[in-house]
Amino acid sequence: MKEIIKIEELNKIYDTGAIQVHALRDVSLSISEGEYVAIMGQSGSGKSTLMNILGCMDRHFEGTYLLDGISIVEQGEDDLSGIRNKKIGFVFQAFQLIPRTSALKNVEIPMVYGGMKADDRKAKATSLLEKVGLGERVHHLPNELSGGQKQRVAIARALANDPALILADEPTGNLDTRSSHEIMDFFTKLNEEGATVVVVTHEEDIAQCTKRIIRFQDGQLVSDEKVVKEG
Amino acid sequence: MIFENIKLAMFSIRANKMRSFLTMLGMIIGISSVIAIVSLGDTMRSMVAGEFETFGKGLAFAYIMSEDGVYTEDHLFTKDEAEKLKEAMDGHITYVGFSPSERVDIKVGRKIETVKISGLAENPTEMKDPKIIYGRMLNDKDIIGKRKFVVIENTTALSVFGQEDAVGKTLKTTINRQAEELLVIGVFQNTDSALKKLLSGGAFAEAFVPESIMIKADEPQWGLYFCMDENQDMTQLQNRILSYIARMKNQDIESVMCDSAQEEMSSIDGVLGSLSAVVGAIAAISLVVGGIGIMNIMLVSVTERTREIGIRKALGAKTRDIMIQFLIEAAAISAAGGIIGTILGISIVGIGGMLVGVGVVVKPTVVMIAVAFSAMVGLGFGMYPARKAAQKDPVEALRYE
Repeated sequence: MKEIIKIEELNKIYDTGAIQVHALRDVSLSISEGEYVAIMGQSGSGKSTLMNILGCMDRHFEGTYLLDGISIVEQGEDDLSGIRNKKIGFVFQAFQLIPRTSALKNVEIPMVYGGMKADDRKAKATSLLEKVGLGERVHHLPNELSGGQKQRVAIARALANDPALILADEPTGNLDTRSSHEIMDFFTKLNEEGATVVVVTHEEDIAQCTKRIIRFQDGQLVSDEKVVKEG
Repeated sequence: MIFENIKLAMFSIRANKMRSFLTMLGMIIGISSVIAIVSLGDTMRSMVAGEFETFGKGLAFAYIMSEDGVYTEDHLFTKDEAEKLKEAMDGHITYVGFSPSERVDIKVGRKIETVKISGLAENPTEMKDPKIIYGRMLNDKDIIGKRKFVVIENTTALSVFGQEDAVGKTLKTTINRQAEELLVIGVFQNTDSALKKLLSGGAFAEAFVPESIMIKADEPQWGLYFCMDENQDMTQLQNRILSYIARMKNQDIESVMCDSAQEEMSSIDGVLGSLSAVVGAIAAISLVVGGIGIMNIMLVSVTERTREIGIRKALGAKTRDIMIQFLIEAAAISAAGGIIGTILGISIVGIGGMLVGVGVVVKPTVVMIAVAFSAMVGLGFGMYPARKAAQKDPVEALRYE
């Protein structure tokens, strides 16, 4: 299996001048294509820091990180923008849809920056919204959608450029239980279709939906185990 | 990509209509005042030029300065000397006269009207060429014959005779403390524009009589008017005339002074030109103020949209993409303000010109410079906010509340 994520001896130190915080300490892990992984930990465990690094939004770390074979630490700011655009589909806790902009336009954004033509973009965004069950609401604005619907728009947007990795940061953190299950079912379905999905969460039952759980504590990887499905 | 950015900018401007309009207002006021002021200056310059173009470009007034302030016959001109000068210039002088003028009351029955009465010498139309609507203008015979004729303005005729056609009627007046009865032989219409009347402060109507009835032939006068043939090299001709006067009167050439219409025109033109440049430059300061307004609102906008910037960067926007998005927004606000300001400025000058009855001059170059300048102001002052937006860290920006 092809390795999508390969991290070796990763260290991240926040230097605030007066004190140094060792946010990640000697982390090594590897995630292969088609895996469905939860990264777990309490707040302060370093999972958000790891999420930013995995998402190629932070390249100031020590160690190596290969995303789909590309060494991230060597990339410039704008190269990272390109990598995020092509390789990663983000799903955030706070949905992060652009306000006063229709669902369709929101889904189109990664394709705009990917340089896709307007007509192709619109067609693909429409089909993605249909896929997440929002075919009727393509022209709705974010404030006209429920939390669950917003997150589904975000999932459609994450899929826009057929990324190598879907990276979800607490995707159910702002949702009720029913919507949370709906969203996790989507990730499960996407994973069954072959997508590599990484979910960062602190909720045990959400983590249990995945196939592999990596636990963090105080910036260190403490356990990495397969999920045994009951029945 | 640029097209997408323009669409985004338009969307954002529309989304904040009131704010965008208020921001534009600075540019609108700046551009419209620059255009209005510079066009006003250009209009006045072209009017001045037009005034001299149609009439009197070759007109000049020569006089002799006395060093000790005592004026004797050596400094004054007689009618004979004036004629001698005219003859000596081989017909290049079309008119020479003293052109005395006096403010007098004219009386018809119980009606009194004050006019500015001017005496004209031979070839009177070289000096004054009014638009005659009834009767005729003074001619050489009237002047040589010292005929007690007068040509008056239509408004004067209307107020003292109750009708414009006053040809053949007589009026009474006092010229040089001497009572005169004058026959009206012509009525003319004042063709000056309202603005020119305003500038010349011409509160009184004009009237023309033969010069010979205003001054005695043997009485020397201070200074004389002459008209030069406009087809000649007028500077050279003027020098020739002045040196002739100096020789004739046994004076130093330095003490023979001359005010010519041409010099006056170029000095008025210069004054108007620098005046409109200075006032225009002051108005241009308002453009800078407008630019600061744009920068201010763009900074607010960047802060407000920190999260949007974070989202866009996370989803693949490069530094350049964000920068262009905000730059175009600033330039669009500024250019829209520039265009509205241009239309407003031209309208102000146009309506003003219509009210005063003057054809206005709006130079395309002025409009082009104003609009280009406004877009540049937008780009210039939009640069800092746009850079600030583009350099935001996506992680921080996404977390912004």
